[in-house]
Amino acid sequence: MACLHDHSCEDHDCSSDWSLYKHIDLPKVSALNEAVPGSVKSVFKAWEQRLNFSGEHLESNEGDPELLVFIPFTSDVKIKSISIVGGADGTSPSKMRAFINRDGIDFSDAQGMQAVQEWELVENFQGVLEFQTRYSKFQSVANITLHFPDNFGGDTTQIHYIGFKGEATKLKRDVVATIVYELMPNPSDHKTRAEGGGGLSHVE
Amino acid sequence: MVLEATMICIDNSEWMRNGDYSPSRFQAQAEAVNLICGAKTQSNPENTVGILTMAGKGVRVLATPTSDLGKILACMHGLEIGGEMNITAGIQVAQLALKHRQNKNQQQRIIVFVGSPIKYDKKVLETIGKKLKKNSVSIDIVDFGEEDDGKPEKLEALLASVNNNDSSHIVHVPPGPNALSDVLISTPVFTDDGDGGRGFAAVGSSASGFDFGVDPNLDPELALALRVSMEEERARQEAAAKRAAEEAGGQDKGEEPSSNAEDATMSDVNVSAPEENKKITDSAIDGDENALLKQALTMSMNISGSGRSGGDAEMLEATGEDQELALALQLSMQESTGGPSSQSEENKLLGDQAYMSSVLASLPGVDTNDPALKDLLASLENQSENQSESQQKKSEDEPPNENK
Repeated sequence: MACLHDHSCEDHDCSSDWSLYKHIDLPKVSALNEAVPGSVKSVFKAWEQRLNFSGEHLESNEGDPELLVFIPFTSDVKIKSISIVGGADGTSPSKMRAFINRDGIDFSDAQGMQAVQEWELVENFQGVLEFQTRYSKFQSVANITLHFPDNFGGDTTQIHYIGFKGEATKLKRDVVATIVYELMPNPSDHKTRAEGGGGLSHVE
Repeated sequence: MVLEATMICIDNSEWMRNGDYSPSRFQAQAEAVNLICGAKTQSNPENTVGILTMAGKGVRVLATPTSDLGKILACMHGLEIGGEMNITAGIQVAQLALKHRQNKNQQQRIIVFVGSPIKYDKKVLETIGKKLKKNSVSIDIVDFGEEDDGKPEKLEALLASVNNNDSSHIVHVPPGPNALSDVLISTPVFTDDGDGGRGFAAVGSSASGFDFGVDPNLDPELALALRVSMEEERARQEAAAKRAAEEAGGQDKGEEPSSNAEDATMSDVNVSAPEENKKITDSAIDGDENALLKQALTMSMNISGSGRSGGDAEMLEATGEDQELALALQLSMQESTGGPSSQSEENKLLGDQAYMSSVLASLPGVDTNDPALKDLLASLENQSENQSESQQKKSEDEPPNENK
């Protein structure tokens, strides 16, 4: 579904809507089949810079339009819609498939698995098109993997901007990072009530 | 310190029986694999390494990526050579094994040892390479063994199709005296970022850039101790040689063999042998070789206070190594009696002595601090002082020869 901005942007600050990029864990963003390793990080920027074609962008390898982008967030987010700005001359991606909260997906996994949602994309040179999500499925997203299987006929696929609209929660879905197992109880770890200042004790 | 999961693809085809890499291609490959496993696990404790064989009945995964070095080394035992190598299947299985690694944060790397000719087209290899590149797997190719016509080109093509930002490498190792593992240590297969493998490599092989095979960074005290003892030894030998050169008699010669033996115990034999040769050539005095020979006999027997003839006779009853020594001594003695000029005799004896010294150093029972030995040395020195002519020495050689 596409919605065009039919109001002037002075009234309502569009950029604040698209501020989920601030919650992206940028160092851990990765992509498969990118021509320049690390270039994927350049597509997550502020709304105002989405049409800035001059800087770095994400490009796939020659002759192979598939791209797989893994995006972890610093906290759980709810994603309402996604905006993609692709390159010219048929290098824009034509299809997008999303997977939620799974890491380590590669191309064979992506091709085999059922995506949470799939979209048919159109060329979006003005950067005004956004693709809505089935919001109920995107309620607590710790990481999202976007798979772009095809483009509009170009030799490579270029992506200049990926934007997420939604809300960030303060929650973290993260797995427990460090667990300390006690083999034997250490009394100093367990302060009893008597040591802690006492309390009422019942003697029956 | 890159976090990596590595799959090593071993070539165990029939071509690995060849001996152009010592001791055989397969052994050289196994050593290299062991070193690589060690280097990878040392550079980052969370690295994992797995092994698979490409020939034999088919591609077989011996170990899935694990950080347990013992398990990896254990599965290198009992590998059989046979069949033909299937490089494409091997790489694909390696890719699959890496895909199912436990820690998805690890970079994927495949190391392929290619020792036999490749029967696949360049095209096939390039498609495989592209697939590896797409899934961001790097590859290191070790080209050794068979020198096929198209083999290097095919492997270069494979490398070009995988290579992303210079993370993949190829190494061509021609057959030669250097061990396969030694050649590999200095290549990016080991060193990776440049300093990853070097520390390990220095420990792993003695043919490193460091003086005593010990990295001063890893073990400064040991390196220092070795260096100090080497310098002390050198100083002592120089002093001994100077004294020997100054004096006519062979008074100081007795000290040389004992110092030589000590030398060997403290540092490499290879390092000490040339020095011994130098010392011996510096003081070219006839009568001393005989004293040395006798010392060698007694030292090898580790007998206390035995006479010269006693030492000779018991020589024959000793172990095989001592018998070789006896033979060498016998030859040298005969040469000393039959040689036309004293100079050439000396040279032959010198050669034998160098051999002798190195043999002595390797003999297990030699104890230079043995008091009996010291007595013997003293007695020999006295004997050599009494004699002034080389002719007298030769006449004394006759009775020992007759004893034999």
